[in-house]
Amino acid sequence: MAQYLPVLALLVLAGLFAGLSFVASKIFAPRNPTAEKLAPYECGITPGRDLPERFPVRFYLVAMLFVIFDIEIVFLYPWAVNYQELGLFGLVSVLIFSALVFESFVYLISKGALDWGPLQVSRRQDPMRSADRTTASTVRRVGQDGRTVTVLDAGVAAEEAGSGVAA
Amino acid sequence: MIALVAQDTQTVALPGPPVVWSLLWPFLILAVGGVLLVTVTSVVPVLRGRSFPAAFTCLTALASGLSLIPVWQRVDRLDLVGGTIGSGTEGPRSLVSGAYAVDGFTVFVTGVICVSVFLTALLLDGYLRREGLDGPEWYVLMLMSASGGVLLASANDLIVSFLGLEILSIAAYVMAALHLRRAESQEAGFKYFVLGALASAFFLYGIALVYGATGSTTLQGIFAAGPNAAGLDPRTDSSLILAGMALLLVGFAFKVSAVPFHFWAPDVYQGAPSPVVAFMASGVKVAGFAGLARIFLYAFQPYWADWRPAIAALAVLSTIVGGLLALAQRNVKRMLAYSSINHAGFMLLAIHAAASPDDGGQRGAEALLFYLLAYTVMVTGTFGVATIVGGRGDGRHDLDDYRGLSRSNPLLAGVMAILLFSQAGVPFTSGFFAKFRVIGALASDGSYALGGAAMLAAVISAVLYLRIVVSMFLIDNGEAHEADHEAVDAVAGGRAAPEAEGDTLVEASPEASVLTSVRAPAPTALLAVCLAAAVTLVLGLLPDLGGGILSDAASALLLAG
Amino acid sequence: MVDVIVFAVAGLIVLAGGLGVVLNSNPVRSALSLVASFFGVAVLFVLQEAHFLALVQIVVYAGAIVVLFLFVIMLLGVDEVEDLSIEPLSGQRIGGLLAGAALLVFLLGGLFLSGGDEGAVAVTGTESVTQPIDETQPNIDNLATDLFGRNVLAFEATALLLTIATVGAVVLVRNAGAEDLSVDEPGRADH
Repeated sequence: MAQYLPVLALLVLAGLFAGLSFVASKIFAPRNPTAEKLAPYECGITPGRDLPERFPVRFYLVAMLFVIFDIEIVFLYPWAVNYQELGLFGLVSVLIFSALVFESFVYLISKGALDWGPLQVSRRQDPMRSADRTTASTVRRVGQDGRTVTVLDAGVAAEEAGSGVAA
Repeated sequence: MIALVAQDTQTVALPGPPVVWSLLWPFLILAVGGVLLVTVTSVVPVLRGRSFPAAFTCLTALASGLSLIPVWQRVDRLDLVGGTIGSGTEGPRSLVSGAYAVDGFTVFVTGVICVSVFLTALLLDGYLRREGLDGPEWYVLMLMSASGGVLLASANDLIVSFLGLEILSIAAYVMAALHLRRAESQEAGFKYFVLGALASAFFLYGIALVYGATGSTTLQGIFAAGPNAAGLDPRTDSSLILAGMALLLVGFAFKVSAVPFHFWAPDVYQGAPSPVVAFMASGVKVAGFAGLARIFLYAFQPYWADWRPAIAALAVLSTIVGGLLALAQRNVKRMLAYSSINHAGFMLLAIHAAASPDDGGQRGAEALLFYLLAYTVMVTGTFGVATIVGGRGDGRHDLDDYRGLSRSNPLLAGVMAILLFSQAGVPFTSGFFAKFRVIGALASDGSYALGGAAMLAAVISAVLYLRIVVSMFLIDNGEAHEADHEAVDAVAGGRAAPEAEGDTLVEASPEASVLTSVRAPAPTALLAVCLAAAVTLVLGLLPDLGGGILSDAASALLLAG
Repeated sequence: MVDVIVFAVAGLIVLAGGLGVVLNSNPVRSALSLVASFFGVAVLFVLQEAHFLALVQIVVYAGAIVVLFLFVIMLLGVDEVEDLSIEPLSGQRIGGLLAGAALLVFLLGGLFLSGGDEGAVAVTGTESVTQPIDETQPNIDNLATDLFGRNVLAFEATALLLTIATVGAVVLVRNAGAEDLSVDEPGRADH
């Protein structure tokens, strides 16, 4: 436990520093707020619109991959410290492990999960270029991409189906 | 100086645990097969189509199944002649420093899982073509999930059991959500994941408590710490280990969807892609039962008097409630979900009988193994037919969608009838002997009340299968049928949603009142369901085919304890 | 004595963090309370001389996992405040409290009723069947010997599990947009 004493000391110091800074700025800082000062700082540009409320799901993927590879590194650490004692068997075990890691890495790259350039996907999704506009109708239904028809639309669907039979 | 220090720190390398590779092959082929498939399809984009992954998966399952033969011969000899397994002191033949155990039981279960993978891969091929989906991920995840199942069945250490369970389940969660265009599929995946994660937490907590009570995570260690070990107080830590066993049982009961823990099953089975459901209901469930049987019949064998009533309660509830709730359904996939809950009850009854210390034990274990095989084949086949009837969009699963199937595709209707009769337990099908063996084992154990409950449940569930069969063979006028259909759609707008998706082709050409997917199903899918029906019939006509294997595997399960 | 004080402080931090996770209405604050709780657990690990586990606790849990949680919170939008006064199931709070209390009683009962000679409170009466830990060796060496000896299969199985996680995460996220175009729309009869 004693070896953690510096950590404790540092923790106390950090707490003190943070607390004192707050107190000091409360006491000594001049307060003269204007609208410009209260606005969020954006490199001198006037804040325009609010940030989008949701981040794209791709960010989540990055976080997920970070966790996965983080865990893999944790497993390698005990081996790295003891590689001499573990000998050939340890080496082979770690090589098998690493091969699996490497394999998921290959998969990631081939799926383009690590690409951050302009997406081909977004171009294909552009409704103006969609093939739907010419084959079925000129009006493209919005808001149900990737979803099956909701109950609201079901009546229409049934009607359409009915007219198909009648024809 | 540096050299000197290096000399000092040079220590003797630890010898690694001995690994008997030849007995590990069935597991390794599945796991490496999955890894190879994902790597190869990543590196060579040409192979990313639909044919290669399907063929590869079928071959991998076959290879794994064939590699079981030499393993069986080695294990079988050891088991019965060498006495290594049956001596009661060493447990099953363990590999990799006691983390993995191979005996007749695990070989049998591995074979059943391979059958499930093989049939499901055939179904998936047709399904992916019909739905316009691609990607080898379906097959990769299924192979890995199957390897997790084998790991769970063969685990000789609770840590390995847990990892097997997680590999098995996490792949299944993803597969359930993998039809990305269907909201139902995503919903199913989400529900399955949340409830499954909760069950895994229970399982892990149970492991922790058992470890705390017995000081070991290996099955032998837990067994040895039990009250029948010499020199130990029988009451040692009973409350802690009871709590641990209860939590483990909850985890397993969720996986096999036994009744108080079954709520996820109907929703997930209804929403998930049909071939994936075939795998979930067969491979995943079989692995869950194998793990349950292994851990409870071996490690917790000293406490059998404590956990047996709990198993009995789960079993009776599952058979009765599963059968009754199935009657209230109109969606065939939901009905089959409840029917699989009903089957889970029967298998739990078999485990109950297998825990018997006297003659019922061997018969119960045999009944469990036979039921696992028969159930896997027939449930995969049944969901295979559901896959075909589901049509493009995988939405036609109402009971009405099966009407007139005997007219539009007599072969499919015949196959489905065989499979459903088998599930109901009609004689000359495998299902009959499965149920018969369970009830027989219960009777020889003296649990007549449970046997009576099982028969009652069998009768209840028979009604449900008859409903589907009647609906298929209900010959009605085509026009009347269609008109009826339309009327139903107009009234119940809600149900029309999947209809509209799957039916567009039909309505576009009025003379075709049947989906092409039903009239001319994908040949691979048809092959799968025909195979399933054939095996069901063969097992039903020749129930003692390979009877030696069954009794050897069953005795391995019991002798281990 | 020092141990007791450290345990008490760390235990309080863990409990306070846990309460903070449950009671905060802002999910970001809940996530940060979770970090505090994880730090407390790390201190408890240190108290048990499990230094490597303490490190893992900080790096993986307080670092990676909470970052993941925060990403998910961002993904779902922070600003949407949920009305916590609505109970989807009536009486679920009371039910939850009762279940929690029952679990507590159950665990305490297990703790006090089990084993122990002469009325002493003991969790377990059995010795661990694995060897006692070699105190002279650093913690991580023991861990490595165990991980690459007895538990090597579990180690490799973990790699398989992580592979599944990677494949699953990518396939569920990446394909979502890419395949939207081929949705079957009602009324389309061209396939």
